[in-house]
Amino acid sequence: MEERLYDLIFILRPDTPEADIDKVISTLEHAATEKGGKIDSVNKWGRKRMAYRVQKLREGYFVYMVIRSSHGEVVKELERRLKVSDPVIKYLTVRLDEELKRQDKLKRHRERRAARRPRKTVPAAPAMPGAEQTAAPTA
Amino acid sequence: MAEENAQQSYGGGGGPRSSGPGGGPGGRPGGPAKRGKRNFVRKKKVCRFCVDKADFIDYKKAEILAPFIQERGKILPRRMTGTCARHQRWLTVAIKRAQNIALLPFAAEL
Repeated sequence: MEERLYDLIFILRPDTPEADIDKVISTLEHAATEKGGKIDSVNKWGRKRMAYRVQKLREGYFVYMVIRSSHGEVVKELERRLKVSDPVIKYLTVRLDEELKRQDKLKRHRERRAARRPRKTVPAAPAMPGAEQTAAPTA
Repeated sequence: MAEENAQQSYGGGGGPRSSGPGGGPGGRPGGPAKRGKRNFVRKKKVCRFCVDKADFIDYKKAEILAPFIQERGKILPRRMTGTCARHQRWLTVAIKRAQNIALLPFAAEL
């Protein structure tokens, strides 16, 4: 099966110690590899203000990771773990590969059009200097 | 050299053309005034994402999405922002995702 790409963002309580944050991340990594997935990157955004209150908290520690897997089981397992782990107050998984595919397609389409366009603009460009040259002799 | 020539040609044609530059700016506002009493020149809104050639609107960048929501947290309609249909469609999805992960508010808090 084709590989899928997911974004996973989760928010931890702002008072979580660094060690616990790393522990959460490493357990997720373990769980992902166990299920046959792979965590591409982990990016700690750090403490940020949330747009609204969650569990009476105004701030949260954001962690963003990119996951690669060939089936949805990995996401299911990761979400289960996030749900049961205490410091996690919010999480969101978004499947991205289809959007990236669309993005690629549009990009290729534009590049093809851009490759075609210069032929039209090139004949127009020499016309400008040509006009100046004809004007100069009259002066 | 080319610049000098250009200036000379300007000077040479100065006699008949001197009225030209003066009439140019004056003539332009005169044009629409003939048409009607009220002439709004509504600035055409252009889709910001089309200008940037965006193929993908990232829900993680709340600062990009923020101008497209109202004070109270509503998503602004297309007619207000000038976003094209395709990008508005992507934008709403991105805003809703951002709301779910607390990057943008669902509704402003009191």
